[in-house]
Amino acid sequence: MTRAATAAALTAAALVLGLAPRAAVSAQAPSRVISIVPAVTEMLFAVGAGAQVAAVSSFDTSPPEVASLPRVGGLLDPDLERILGLRPDLVVVYATQTDLIHQLARAGVATFEYEHAGLPAVLATIRRIGARVGHDAEAERVAASLEARLAAVRRRVAGRRPPRTLVVFGRDRLALRNIFASGGVGFVHDMLEAAGGANVFEDVDRQNVQATAELVLARAPEVILELRGEFGSIGRGDIDRERRVWNALLSVPAVRAGRVYILVDSSVVVPGPRVADGVEKIARVLHPEAFD
Amino acid sequence: MTIRARLVRTIAAFGAAAMAAILLAPLVGSTSISLVKAFDASIPFPDNVDAQILFVARLPRTLAAALVGSALATAGVVFQGLLRNPLATPFTLGVSAGASLGAMLAITFGWSLSFLGLTPVPIASLAGSLGAVAIVYWLAQARHRGLSTNVLLLAGVTMNAFFSALILFVQYFADFAEGYRTIRWLMGDLDVSGYTPLVAALPLLVVAFVSFAWLPRQLNVLSLGPESAEARGVDVDRAQRLAFFSASLATGAAVSVSGPIGFIGIVVPHLVRLLVGADHRVVLPASACFGAAFLVACDVIARTVLAPVELPVGVVTAVTGGPFFLWLLVTRR
Amino acid sequence: MSETTEESGASPCPRTLGVRAPRPRSPWRDVSHGLLEAADVRFGYGGTRVLDGVSLRVGRQGLLGVLGPNGSGKTTLLRLLAGSLRPQSGSIRLDGREVAGLPRATLARRMAIVPQETHLAFDYSVMEMVLMGRYPHLGPFELEGPRDLAIARDALAATRTAELEARAFNTLSGGEKQRVVIASALAQLDRRAERGGGADADWSDGLLLLDEPTASLDIGYQLDIAALLRQLWRDRHVTILVSTHDLNLAAGLCRDLVLLKDGRVLAAGSTEAVLTTEHIRALYGVEAEVRPHAAAGHLTVVPIGRVAGGGLSHPRGSP
Repeated sequence: MTRAATAAALTAAALVLGLAPRAAVSAQAPSRVISIVPAVTEMLFAVGAGAQVAAVSSFDTSPPEVASLPRVGGLLDPDLERILGLRPDLVVVYATQTDLIHQLARAGVATFEYEHAGLPAVLATIRRIGARVGHDAEAERVAASLEARLAAVRRRVAGRRPPRTLVVFGRDRLALRNIFASGGVGFVHDMLEAAGGANVFEDVDRQNVQATAELVLARAPEVILELRGEFGSIGRGDIDRERRVWNALLSVPAVRAGRVYILVDSSVVVPGPRVADGVEKIARVLHPEAFD
Repeated sequence: MTIRARLVRTIAAFGAAAMAAILLAPLVGSTSISLVKAFDASIPFPDNVDAQILFVARLPRTLAAALVGSALATAGVVFQGLLRNPLATPFTLGVSAGASLGAMLAITFGWSLSFLGLTPVPIASLAGSLGAVAIVYWLAQARHRGLSTNVLLLAGVTMNAFFSALILFVQYFADFAEGYRTIRWLMGDLDVSGYTPLVAALPLLVVAFVSFAWLPRQLNVLSLGPESAEARGVDVDRAQRLAFFSASLATGAAVSVSGPIGFIGIVVPHLVRLLVGADHRVVLPASACFGAAFLVACDVIARTVLAPVELPVGVVTAVTGGPFFLWLLVTRR
Repeated sequence: MSETTEESGASPCPRTLGVRAPRPRSPWRDVSHGLLEAADVRFGYGGTRVLDGVSLRVGRQGLLGVLGPNGSGKTTLLRLLAGSLRPQSGSIRLDGREVAGLPRATLARRMAIVPQETHLAFDYSVMEMVLMGRYPHLGPFELEGPRDLAIARDALAATRTAELEARAFNTLSGGEKQRVVIASALAQLDRRAERGGGADADWSDGLLLLDEPTASLDIGYQLDIAALLRQLWRDRHVTILVSTHDLNLAAGLCRDLVLLKDGRVLAAGSTEAVLTTEHIRALYGVEAEVRPHAAAGHLTVVPIGRVAGGGLSHPRGSP
């Protein structure tokens, strides 16, 4: 054979062999799924694939069934040995965990990559993971139901002026330092819009913004909404103390009207099947009169 | 020119630069404000957005930059004199590593202890600094020889490594938002949003600066080495202790306000020495003024160059200080 | 131990022993004390004994050498004499008063140490370096005045380094650095300010202690420093104590010697009396010839070979 022909043959063989293992695995529904992404874990259970879940990340808290499942680490510290030891046929990983993805590929384990993105991506991911684990129909039902509820919320708040809202993911305890807010991109921003709010940072093309005192004063939000997944570090009694911290910024309309809210509910921070709950809760805060 | 005349002239020049920076910086920012409106007394303060931005957001921030810049620059001079090494920084002996660990723990576990105007993270940061300083000092205490600077250096470097490892460990317990905020704290942040954090750190800084006043002559003679300094009548033990504690206090107080901002403690003393010579009686006050002006200027750049997004001020100090310092060294040789 | 005698003129002839000339100044001072006296001093670190009963005396305008091999305790002795260390037993007295009880600044005004090498961590100028010698004379916030500058300049002139005043100290050669450090020590010892501010340098009350001052220098600078010290002693009446292991430096520079071996005094007295073949053999284990050299004008020591075991071993084998 000529050299060129040999090269071509080898290349073709490499491509076929490279593709083959993945093609082979996706022919059957995986029965031992490990999910490192808590949002996707919730999706798996929501689409009825709960029994196929063999292990979850260290940060999973929902649904209650995960309490008894083994843990394999998280975004920064996935435990490859443990993962392989549980003999998974599918591992749900973050797209940024490139090392882990390569290591799993070498071990012949299929991966499902997840990336943080907007609200539409949440629905798309539900459909995608549903198909991947052989629960297409249920996934479609879950996604459609969510879409319906989101549409219902949009109808409720339609026609009402969206208040300019500052959405805060986190800041230092009892201080206006290190304020970490939502930019104009991402699922929290999308939830806010669906709930009938206008993001003060909607012009910022990033998921996160460091909100300084000057920025907050300049943007003058009408509502300040702090989102937390759980009480954890703030006790219930501390909520008022934390709200009062914003009084340092006297000219902000939200402060003067008393519209500073701290919303503690995991549905508002997990881009999973409970997003509709989250959007409804946010909408109730922004437009209470629409829900009476 | 007599020594007194040189001293006065140099400090006046650097002081003027610092004052100019402090007065001009609040006028610049990512939002355009109207000075006329800001100073218009007829608008009630809580309604006056321009005044709020000027007096609640920018002015405290500028003052914080001045205090932190001044503290870190002078602490750098003192540590360099103590360790007889122009490459020493305020962070060499582990003070900021302890501060960072304290802050990290407070952020990750959401501690809520607050008093006297100090909020949880600065309190934890100060406690961390104190802990690090105590451990390093205890390790460096030799029985009949007083403070050994070699052991001090080793202890400090070891503490830095140890605390850094602990910081990484703590980061694993943090969720995404907390992890992001701890990393941001490590890059330095001057957005104090009010005067209270400054007022709380002020007593510590005042004590440190007053202590610094005693050091310049002793640091000059100490640069000959402890035996030679002692032979000239310096109480080496007392001078070293005073230098160590006052510089650690200044560093700890500064880091509790703004997080560890690097480069100031080494670039400013070097630049000042290249400009005015090695006499600590001039270098120390000049560095205090220059450090203030430098950090104020870096903060202005940090908050305007990519508006509305802010650069961490530690990045700006590195990017501006480093090359300028190199250029100065090259042209001077 | 011998009393020190006064040098009669500048000519390089052998001096006679035992002649006590009248003191030229300060008749009210107690002349029965040496300026600096150590009596039966013992000192050690941890379990090791470094000095085991050392006594010596330096009189006013004396020029004493402490000669001994490395490890004999010379540096420790110097630090004890200057008051940096406290003897574990025995006493050290300056003008009859215990050194350990005197304030640091007082001691610094009377005694200055010149170490083997000086390295400054920062870029001080020669003038700034010399002015560091004025530290014990100034208050905590006092700045150097015109008199201090004059004192510094006189010291630089006395060590022939006046032209180096504006240079950076760290850029000087080894020999130049040592001369500047000696100038700094002289500035430290200058008492004219306390004496009512005369126009001339007054080093008569001071004691210059030098710790192996020429050990890091090449031979040209060694002779330079030795000549400078001799001149300062002879013309400017500076009292000098030098520690060294260099036999020829001791022979050429010092009037009196104390031989130190393993923390004890082997012999003490005038150089002629003490620097003998027997003593050198006992001190270093070296066979050497000691004789006056007409051209050099003082004793010289020629090492012949090492005394090893039962016999002599030449560097080049048997002659």
